[in-house]
Amino acid sequence: MTPLELIIAIVAAFLSMCMFSTLYGKSSPLYALAEESYIGFATGLTVVVNVLYIYRTGILGIKAGNWVLILGIILGIMVLFRVHPKYDYIARLPIAIALGAQFGLALRTTIFTSFLDQIRATIVPLFSGDAQTILYRWTIALCVIFMLTFFLYTIELKGPLKWSATIGEYMMYIAFGAIFAQTFMGRLGLFVGTMQYLATPPWKKPILVASMVIVLALLIALDKTGLLERWTPEE
Amino acid sequence: MTEERSLARMLAEIDRRIIYLLLFIVVTLPILRPVAMPLAVSPDTKQYYKVLDALGPDDIVLFVLDTEFSGYMEIQSGVLASARMIIERGAKMAIACCHPEATGIPPMMFSYLGDVMEKYDYEYGEDYVVLGYIFPNEAAVASSAQDFHSIAREDWQGRPITGTFLDKIHTWEDWSLIAIFTTGIVSDAFIRHYGLRGAPMVVNCIGVMIPTQKPYVDTGIYDALLPSMRGGAELEKLINAPGPGLAAMDCFTFGHYLVIIFIIIANIGYFGYVRRVKR
Repeated sequence: MTPLELIIAIVAAFLSMCMFSTLYGKSSPLYALAEESYIGFATGLTVVVNVLYIYRTGILGIKAGNWVLILGIILGIMVLFRVHPKYDYIARLPIAIALGAQFGLALRTTIFTSFLDQIRATIVPLFSGDAQTILYRWTIALCVIFMLTFFLYTIELKGPLKWSATIGEYMMYIAFGAIFAQTFMGRLGLFVGTMQYLATPPWKKPILVASMVIVLALLIALDKTGLLERWTPEE
Repeated sequence: MTEERSLARMLAEIDRRIIYLLLFIVVTLPILRPVAMPLAVSPDTKQYYKVLDALGPDDIVLFVLDTEFSGYMEIQSGVLASARMIIERGAKMAIACCHPEATGIPPMMFSYLGDVMEKYDYEYGEDYVVLGYIFPNEAAVASSAQDFHSIAREDWQGRPITGTFLDKIHTWEDWSLIAIFTTGIVSDAFIRHYGLRGAPMVVNCIGVMIPTQKPYVDTGIYDALLPSMRGGAELEKLINAPGPGLAAMDCFTFGHYLVIIFIIIANIGYFGYVRRVKR
């Protein structure tokens, strides 16, 4: 462990715990400190990395003889006019071009990836493969039919159609449950990963525990003395 | 009866800070003191393993870090285990980032995998190149699929990439595998401009993305999907290289048990108190 690593570990653990102070249920200056620090750091990093990106792809490209990139640089400069109230209309042109290009690039292929290929993947042989595959395919096929009947709006749902729609509705509840569970797992994963980063290698563990105790003690002390709200900067 | 109702009321009105605190404790304790609970390997992970296991020294992998730093925390086990597999099989690896914060990940990766890289004599320039932040948006991904060197001329430290194994890469067809580690920044663009053309792709995504990414395995766009940190842990188990994923599984297990308990408690509170009050 070098002194620099130690400082990084202390700052990371303390600021992370300050971020978690939001769970205390009240606004706190500790949370504001961590939040503003993160915004400042992320903005600085984004600016530096993007300037380097412009240099590597734009400037180097022009130097390599790709003159059309000059147009991109000019359009990029035009975006900066957005901060000037009088000339902000100039920024609309490059933004419109960027949006148009983005839509053009995405729409051309989205119809295949998100629509046609998905339909094709649903229409599969229902009686080939092992038992697990057959079960899996039947489940998908039946769920698609049941759920589609739930979304039939132009006819009255009676008899078998109503049954199918009802089953489709319950299938959706099951799907929502599965999505919620996966969302919870994902959010827990973010938390666990962060805590692991703060606790690995083992010499970081006392720093993490100390940060937890200090932040919690500070929160309670500030709350009891009425300083919690007074010291929290306004939004 | 009154006592029953008061218990139900207490359960219905638990202070959410108690829930947060309990979850915090239950998830943090196994990190400080691991329990090593058993873990089964899912078919998804086995499929992912097979794809990476098939790589050889002649293969070139585009290793895409499509994540912010916070998201990386969830998929780092998959990133590290996948990189380890690629190194052990001698395949070449070009690491590209899709978010400014991801530029901090490669140094951490290689610091963690230092022993493996030394063992397999995995050298910068010869076996791997860190390209840095080269995929900020769909246009960059689309350009790279048609002419890779139009978006990447230097590595992240400004050294020219000519003379490296990347000389063999011109279009999407030249990659042996596109491995995406994603929180969903531009992964859809890779599907549209690489996957749809037929480039072999695998993905390791965060938990909330699994329902949206899984259909792409069924359609054949992805060769395999490694689901979240759990998938990373399973891959660590398969390659016999315990890492952050396996260590995190205790936290997941206890965290999930606690949530199940809270769901039961909340339902007792709802049926025992809230519903009666509403009536």
